[in-house]
Amino acid sequence: MTNWKGITSNDTEYERWKREVSELDEEIKSFIQFDPDLGRKLTDSGRTGREGMLEGIPFAVKDNIAVKSFKLTCGSEILKEFTSTYNATAVEKLIAEGAFVAGKTNLDEFGMGSSTENSAFFNTRNPWNLAVVPGGSSGGSAASVAAGMVPFALGSDTGGSVRQPASFCGVYGLKPTYGSVSRYGLVAYASSLEVIGILAREIDTLERVFETIKGEDVMDQSSLSPDSGESGKEKSGKENRKKTIGIPEELENVDIDSEIRKSMEESLVNFRKSGFDIRKIRIPTLEYVVSAYYVIATAEASANLARFDGIRYGYRDFSAENPEELMLLSREKGFGEEVKLRILLGTYVLRSGFQEQYYIRAQKIRTAIRNDFSRAFKDVDLIMMPVYPRLPFEFENSEMDPFSQKLADIFTCTANLTGLPALSFPISLSSGLPIGMQLMAPPFEERRILEAARLYGNIFPVPIPSRHLGSPIGKGE
Amino acid sequence: MEKREIYTTAYMARLSLNEDEADKLEKAISRMLEYFEKMKEIDVTNLEPTTHALLKNNKLRPDITAENTDTGAILDNAPELEDRFIVTPNVL
Repeated sequence: MTNWKGITSNDTEYERWKREVSELDEEIKSFIQFDPDLGRKLTDSGRTGREGMLEGIPFAVKDNIAVKSFKLTCGSEILKEFTSTYNATAVEKLIAEGAFVAGKTNLDEFGMGSSTENSAFFNTRNPWNLAVVPGGSSGGSAASVAAGMVPFALGSDTGGSVRQPASFCGVYGLKPTYGSVSRYGLVAYASSLEVIGILAREIDTLERVFETIKGEDVMDQSSLSPDSGESGKEKSGKENRKKTIGIPEELENVDIDSEIRKSMEESLVNFRKSGFDIRKIRIPTLEYVVSAYYVIATAEASANLARFDGIRYGYRDFSAENPEELMLLSREKGFGEEVKLRILLGTYVLRSGFQEQYYIRAQKIRTAIRNDFSRAFKDVDLIMMPVYPRLPFEFENSEMDPFSQKLADIFTCTANLTGLPALSFPISLSSGLPIGMQLMAPPFEERRILEAARLYGNIFPVPIPSRHLGSPIGKGE
Repeated sequence: MEKREIYTTAYMARLSLNEDEADKLEKAISRMLEYFEKMKEIDVTNLEPTTHALLKNNKLRPDITAENTDTGAILDNAPELEDRFIVTPNVL
């Protein structure tokens, strides 16, 4: 990250960086709004004067996270013209450390999708191969980091939306413990599952950003610190012994691409060589996580998205003759297909008469899933699984229709149902496309994951795609 | 799911749907509901529902006034304004 420091102190370098990002992004299309000048103005006005930990470093923000005076479209027609009047707490904290917002990145509408194809505006392309999706829903954030336009980006992770695009684009993606980062300023999709996460090319950068943005916040009643939470119990005494990674036996029953299986086996060999013990664990509820996840996520979405009424803000259909018609028509025209599907499914599972069968049952299964993970973490320090059972796929791939994409959330959404921290990290390349693995840890044990990933980074350094800006300072010298 | 159920549900969610959309969404929703049937296999007796993975007690902040965001800027996002009032079609 040292290469990024100073980009704001040299006008020529700064202007060149802006120009090069704009040029490269004509192909990649990661940004909905790229306006570093506005971001710098915001940082200059929000400073206290002391030198920050992230002084002069640009970052990208997924466009469902509020940045004052920037757009906040959520990738939706319904918020196309919306401008935020305040900063998300995570953004505010980064600004206080001297970092500045470079722009807002593309996403699946309201974070609903796994390819960024559900953006109402345009597709974002994978810097590794322009015919391939960048993953989603934080696809723009992942692509901008992979292409070297910014050293890190914020995303949101409701069921894998930071980790899966990070995996598809070959960068690190952290979904922190639920509540460890304030959700104030994150446009709500499924409040009990989601958290703001970080995408970065370097593990040190990611860690420093996480240290900056985490912590309890009066503006988010679900925000937590480890002191008030469950961690701290098992810290001492274990530090120097051999660390154990658990692999769920149930992976055998999941349809996983053979290249991904092969890479996972190789990574286990590497972890063993680096001194880790590998042990089989059991997560019998794994086959139920996708059902439970989609019942809960859509139920919460149907409630959260009720606020878009065409009256106070957002798209309005002016042909409506009464307030109810105004709401019906504004929502019909403002929301895209996947969002409508999830609102309707969520409304259905919450209907009286169906609640017990779907929503309550899913919440009970969620308890069973949490129990499985708590039990497993008595025997192991970390749990490893693939991030996604499929390789990065091409646009409009018929085998990866919206239904298949949902089933493929199996490994990522477990961390959201349980609230556990999880990191996606690159382990190999297959036919020029990155493959990522996921490490999970008990609540607030992000450091444990980052240490293991840092170690792995010495074995398999984060790969760089050919479409990449390189280091912006001192280039060509 | 029966066809008319999609319209009932859509009205509850205050979404109007055209016929093509209703057809397509009805298929997609039925497919998901069919998939959810899998949840019946698991025994959930004696399991309490989880509403939040990690949530402690209610947290209250001191009841003191604080500077919040600029109401003028918030109103600028309204689709139609008359002075500081948001305009809607006639209610009656």
